[in-house]
Parts: sequence; C-alpha cells; structure tokens
Amino acid sequence: MGWDRDRAHGMIERLLSLAGSGDWQVELTARTSSYTRFARSEITTSGLADDAGLVVTAGREGRSGTVGTNDLSDDGLKAAIARAAGMRDLLPVDPEWVEPLPPQTYPALGKYDDETARARAAERAPGIRSILALARRRKLVAAGFYETGATHRAVGNSVGNFGYHPATDTELSVTMRTSSGTGSGWASGYSPRFSEVDAKSLARRAAEKGIASVSPRDVPPGDYTVVLEPAAVAALLMTLQFGALSRRAADEGRSVFSKPGGGSRVGEKVAHESVTLRSDPFDPRLPATPWSAGGGPGGGSTDGLPNRKVTWIDRGVLKALYADRYWARVTGVEPTPAPGSLVLDGGTRSLDDLIASTGHGLLVTRFWYIRTVNPQTAQLTGLTRDGLFLIENGTIAGPATNLRFNESPVVMLQNAEGMTPAVPAGRMVVPAIKSREFTFTSKSDAV
Amino acid sequence: MIPGAFVTRRADGAVPPDRFEGLGAVALDKARSLGATYADIRINRYRTQSVLLRSTPDWTTGAVHHVPAVTDEETFGFGVRVIHGGAWGFAAGSSVDKESIARMTSEAVGIARAHAKLRGEPVRLAAAAPAKDTYRTPLETDPFEVGVAEKIALLQQASDEARKVPGVFSATGFLEQRLEERFFASTDGSVLRQRIVQVAPEYTATARDLKARRTKTRTYRPNAVCGGYEFVLKAQLAENARRVGEESVNHLKAPSIAPGAKDLVLLPTHLGLTIHESIGHSTELDRAMGYEANFAGTSFLTPDRLGTYRVGSDIVHVFGDRVMPQALSTCGYDDDGVKTKRFPILKNGVFVGYQTTREQAHWIGQEESMACSYADSYASVPFQRMPNVWLAAAETPRSLDDLVSGVDDGLLIEGRGSYSIDQQRYNFQFGGDAFWEIKGGKVGAMVADVAYQSRTPDFWQACDALGDRSTWRNVGLNRDGKGEPGQINAMSHGCPAARFRGITVIRTE
Repeated sequence: MGWDRDRAHGMIERLLSLAGSGDWQVELTARTSSYTRFARSEITTSGLADDAGLVVTAGREGRSGTVGTNDLSDDGLKAAIARAAGMRDLLPVDPEWVEPLPPQTYPALGKYDDETARARAAERAPGIRSILALARRRKLVAAGFYETGATHRAVGNSVGNFGYHPATDTELSVTMRTSSGTGSGWASGYSPRFSEVDAKSLARRAAEKGIASVSPRDVPPGDYTVVLEPAAVAALLMTLQFGALSRRAADEGRSVFSKPGGGSRVGEKVAHESVTLRSDPFDPRLPATPWSAGGGPGGGSTDGLPNRKVTWIDRGVLKALYADRYWARVTGVEPTPAPGSLVLDGGTRSLDDLIASTGHGLLVTRFWYIRTVNPQTAQLTGLTRDGLFLIENGTIAGPATNLRFNESPVVMLQNAEGMTPAVPAGRMVVPAIKSREFTFTSKSDAV
Repeated sequence: MIPGAFVTRRADGAVPPDRFEGLGAVALDKARSLGATYADIRINRYRTQSVLLRSTPDWTTGAVHHVPAVTDEETFGFGVRVIHGGAWGFAAGSSVDKESIARMTSEAVGIARAHAKLRGEPVRLAAAAPAKDTYRTPLETDPFEVGVAEKIALLQQASDEARKVPGVFSATGFLEQRLEERFFASTDGSVLRQRIVQVAPEYTATARDLKARRTKTRTYRPNAVCGGYEFVLKAQLAENARRVGEESVNHLKAPSIAPGAKDLVLLPTHLGLTIHESIGHSTELDRAMGYEANFAGTSFLTPDRLGTYRVGSDIVHVFGDRVMPQALSTCGYDDDGVKTKRFPILKNGVFVGYQTTREQAHWIGQEESMACSYADSYASVPFQRMPNVWLAAAETPRSLDDLVSGVDDGLLIEGRGSYSIDQQRYNFQFGGDAFWEIKGGKVGAMVADVAYQSRTPDFWQACDALGDRSTWRNVGLNRDGKGEPGQINAMSHGCPAARFRGITVIRTE
C-alpha cells in the first residue's frame, strides 16, 4: 500500500489524536528502495527494502523529547507518545526552543515520477546489461550501483501545520577499470526520473576515462591551474552546504564566512564576480523538500520552514546564510531555509575551450575522500580519482598519477577564470571551472 | 541514579521473541519451495538513544544556555536473503508477520532470478557448523535502564567543570547507547539469538578568539565499548572536563607547527584511526577483489601479496578479532551465522590474512570464513565488514617516556582529527585532536595546525618502537561507513603508543 497524501495525513492525525494535549511535532518518512550492485562485471547484490517511520517530538513550556519508531500500529504510536512525553518531562528547559509553526503554505515541487516508483530489478536489468556488454567489448572491468526509490515525507504538528511531499530518485554510478588495474574511469547520473538516467552514455563516459587514464605519468605536487569537471566542482561545493552557509556558524566565529571580531561576512565579496551560488528547490533536475533541510527540534531533520529559492552568493558577493527560527530571532535576521542542494550558475565557455586556454595545468575528473582540515579557512583535503590528466600548451598531454590536494573551495571560487554552462552533477547543478593556483601536496599511487 | 528519574522503558514489541523461530521457518520453507539453494532470515530490533547537552553563551546576554537534544529511536523488522540460480536476492520489511515474510521471500527469490542470468560464477558458501545458541554482551547496568535525567545531569556536571576555565566558549557532551537484538535462522539449520549493547561517551570543549577569527577544540573521547552504563561512569567525564577545557584554551593559544619531516609518537586514541584506515580497510577481501571498486575503492594488498608483502617493520603484529571482551565488533556469531574468532592480519610486518565472509573464503582458496559478515539493519544486506583490528604491544618493557626519550625533533599526537586516504589505501593525511612538540627527548608545549602525510607501507615500516602493555588501549569507532547503499559499523582498534621516524608533517592553518 502506497503512502498517498490522505494516508500520510491520516497517520499524522492519528498520532496527534492519541497524543492529546501539549505541543507535538511529527515527521513521517516512508521509503521503498530497490537497488542492484555490480562489480567484476557481474551482479553482486540486489535488494528491495520497504520501511516507514515516525519521528515524534513532544514539547511543553520549553521542554522537548524526541523518539523515533517504525511501529505504526496504534500500540506502537502510543508507546512512542509515552516515551516522548516521558523524556520531555524529565529534560531541562531548552532555552533555544521555538514554538511550533502555525499552518504553512508549502510549495509543490513535482519530484515524483510514477515510472521511477515502480522500477524494480527487471527495469534496471537492460541498463546493467548494456554496461556489462560495453565492459566486455572494451576489455574493461565494470563495477557500479543502480538504485531507484520512492520516498513519501510528511510533517505535521498539533497547531494545524501539515505538509506532504512525494519524491522519487534514480541514481546510477559506473566505474570502468582496465584489467591490468592501471586505468580507472567513472561516471554518475542522478534524476528524480528513471528515464533521464542513461546507462549507456554513463558507461561510455566511464569507459573512455578508464582507457584514457592508463599508465599515468608522475607529476610533482604543487600549485596548478586546474580545469575541474562538474563532478569535481560539486564535491567541493557540497562541503559548503552544511557548515559554511550556516549563519550561526559564521556569527559565532566558526566558519570561513565569519568576520574577524564577530558577525558574518554577508555583504562582502567572497568569490570571483562570475560566481553566483543559489539553491532552487523548483529545479526539476535536483532533489529538494518543500521545507528546510535543517534545524529540526530535538532530533528532527527540519524546522519546517517553507523552502524557497535563495541566492547565497550573487556575482561574488555573499548575500545570505541560512538561519533557523531561533537564530533568526536572536540576531534579527529573516529565517532562511537550509539548502538541500546547490546551483552554481555557469558561463558560456566549452570544456575544450577551458583546456585550450591552459598553458600548463591539470584536468580533474573527480575528487575522493574530501575532509575539512580547517573550518575557518574551509581548507579541505582529498584526492583526485578516476582520471587526472596533464594539460600542456592547451591540449591533453596524457594521464597523470593521482594527487592529494589541500585547498579551500572558497579560494577556488576566488581564483575562477572561466566556466562552462552548468549541468547536473553530484545532486547539484554546476559548471566545469577553470581555476588557478590550486594546491596539490603529495602523490598517490592509487588507481 | 537520581531519585525519581524516569526510565525510558521500551514497550514490549508487538511480536514476542518466542515467535521468531516460527516466523523464521516461514521464510526458510518458502525459499526452499521456490527452489532457493540457501536462505537466511534476520528478525532484528535496534534501538539508539543519543543524549546531547550543548552549553553555549546566549548571543545577546552572554548567559550560558544549556541546550539538550535527546533522541531515542527504535526500529524492528526482518530481512530475507536467498541464493537462487547461483545469485543472491534480498528483501526486507518492517511488518513482521507470516504474510509479509512469505511475500518478501518471494520478492527476494524474484530478484535473484532476475540477476542469475547476469552473473558469471555462482555464489559458493564456505561451510559453517549449524548452531543453536545465544550470545549477550556482558554488562552490569543496562544503559537503557538509566534515566535520561541522570545522563543529562552527568553531562551538565562536566560542562560546569569545563566552563570554569577562562576562555572556554562552548562545551558539548554526548552519550550514545545502541542496542541490537538479533535473531538469525538459516537453511543450514542455525538458530541464533544475540543481544549486543554498546555505549559511547564523549565530551568537547571549544575555545574561541573572535578577534583573530580562530576557534580550537579539545575532545575527550573515552573508549566506546560493548558493555553497560558502568563504562560511562568509569570514563569520569566530569573529572576530566577541567583538563579538557584547559587544553582547548592552550590549543587556541598554541603556535602553528613548522612543517617538515619529524618523528611522531602516536597515542592509542590517535593511532586507532590510522590503523583502521591504513590496515583495516586495505585487508578487506571484497575491496581487494574489486567488489567495492565503484565506491570505497580497491586495495594495494592484492591476493598475490598474501603471505609475502611487507607492510610494516618486524615489530608490527596485527590481528582481526571478534571475540575480544568489550570491543565494539565483538559478538557470538556473524551475520552469516559463523562463530566469531581471532585471526592474524600482519605477522612481523608481513601481510598474512584477509577479513572474509562465507561467500569470500574460496576466492583465496580457504575453507573457512573469518566471520566478518555484518548488516547494520534488518533492511541492509549483510556483507564483509571490519572486525576489531588491533596492534599488539611490545613484549619487553617500554613506557611512553621511553618512546619519547628517543626523539630529538618530533610531535606527540592524541585523539582524532580530520582524516583522508586514497581509494587503494596508499596515500593518507591525518590530523589529530591535540599536539605537543617533542624536543631533545622531552614533551614540550602544545602546538597547533598539524597534519601528517604518508604512504601506508612507508609509514608502517618507519615504525621503530612500540610501547608495552601498559600503554595499550582499546579505541572504539562507532560510525564506519562502507558499501552501497551505505551502511555503518562499529569496531575497536586496540594499540600501544607507537613511534614513527621521519614522517612528513604539514601546517594546516
């Protein structure tokens, strides 16, 4: 039985009626996911999982307790209610508690696709067959992951707020390694719609990268002009999404957007003037929820603020940071929903043009194992993977041995010299970027 | 316990455990009737309680806010795994009744059928002796029977102590308790019931210099263990809070490191993660064979290197282990139904053993699984996960002072910082939680902005001395990720203090 709006609403209403008096907030998440893994050019595991759970927060006079359960029977709901209320009554007052949201108007985002929700192993099999066939023809070893899923979410509370959001997702990633193990390529696609993830073209891209990256030559670590393909750009920007774009982190001196002496750098130029970074929950290529992707009470995943388009960096100037209702109230700013994904507006140049304009540099397919080294500078470390190429005199001179980088995405955006149009990559929409003085610190033998 | 504390007692589940065997038989019979050559079912209950207290000054008044965040999550359901036509199929659900179990078993068989045509060699399982057995984590006080008010009070006490130190901006205490009640039955005839309880306390103080736009933290992370609330109390959070607060302030004031090649003396709270990333993940057989190539990667320790390749110096002995008391991966049986054990991974620095499951043993000509199968939920497919991987201490007496006294220009590193390693586990960069310089054989003042980079075999071959048993600590990690869809896993990495010569240190300012 699916989770349509009526069923989700009925479940939340049932919980609220069983809960009785006090402040109650509820989040329902029901997900059916179906997936296939393959490696060594054959299917390895595949499965189907179907689950639904509630996160229930009981509040009263500044106290709150949160429990989660996947027992949606009346007995299960009553047990969850009793536990949440019991916890609430024993915990100290939360000085940052905010009142439950009155009824909100949530945007309809159109992220649900029936074909995707119905897709199972049989629907994915032709795509996988084409990947494995290409691997055989090109004498490559294929590995990958193909998942289709439908998630139904709802939020509600005891003062009448209710929101419902059905969404589907399809994700396919493919790695093609040479049988010698000296070359490796990768490509990945995501869409809310099954029909928009093209297994054949992803397999071709991964295979081309795999073959082109065979027998790389050593290049010394150091500062390089880089051409970052969209997957590499998305991986760097993702690190900004949850930490650096927080107004509280900035105000409290904990982020790259903190101002010396206190407060944030909102209004300052933080990136090259070609850089405009936005979030757009209505973009059909991106995942999004109708409410904020952060700041829930207790252990909830959202504070319920309606989602909307936000421009974070406008032509290089920091314009906004996300703030939950508590932080907005104490600092006197407008509450701003946390982004679920980002859009970096692109330019007009082609990838070939970015390469052709580079005298000496590196083309990066993607990055791997990125970690924040210093939140105050947003310095990250990580490694290139699945295709690093040396650029000499405007052309690809050949594959290069992977390198570790230590660099800040904010510095990368300051040093941007050119961009392609933006395309979907890594659940974001971003361009390829040419940027100068990108710092690599050591060599990796890994392929 | 605080008088009157409320105990968040779990309501008895709708499905009593004495019915699990009968429900399990529904899946096994159904799978057999559909032609499956193997099937197992797990009917599992999971509960995770997180108790957090953050103490931060109010933005306008500066008065300290103690902000609690407590969550208590419970899930219950089943997962059925089958082999049909030589291929795996898996399906899971949260309605634990005969009809749902039969339906999902059919789904699992259907999935296996759909994929059998796309599979080369059929799945082959190493033998596992059928067992009817029960295992329970030994404990004195069930952490779920201790009230949340008592837990908050403990964290508040630690916070009060830490904030007595001038310069401490915020303090955050965190307790996590996790319960796994696992039921397993297979067509091999095993019926297993296990109850695993884990506790993980930690405490962080943050010091801040707003003018310089600089913050530094110091974390006290006592060992996360399989065990009861007694380990939370033994961790002495409040007793350590003043020191943690002082060290956060010292960390903020500490000068940046001068980069270059230095000798490192690494304490177990730091070295545990280095072992995990460089030796733990590189000796997973599925990685080495290419099964994780699309996500986590492969390994430099390929099967042709088994038995001959030198990873570390002669003094480096490393074991895989799921029987060590209190270690986080310890249990009675793995999720293939295989009895857990201890096995060598590195002997005198040479690579001698992989982590394996029943499916994997024959890939390297072995008859027996090393019992490393685990799934993090009833809805997750069991696969090879890291056991406890530990480094043996020196057998001859050697104290921490002995290790330090042999260093002219070096660093002493404690705790975990940022970490990153390549997809074949060669090149890595590790930070830490706290750093002290070592000059002329003595530990000096704190320094800051430190990370070191190395290559796994170079690093472990640069290990020239290990501390003795007195320096050995078990170090629990409870959030290791692997696989697609991603799964978490907990394990411990016991190790002594250890010394490494001439490692590249960088400044991270």
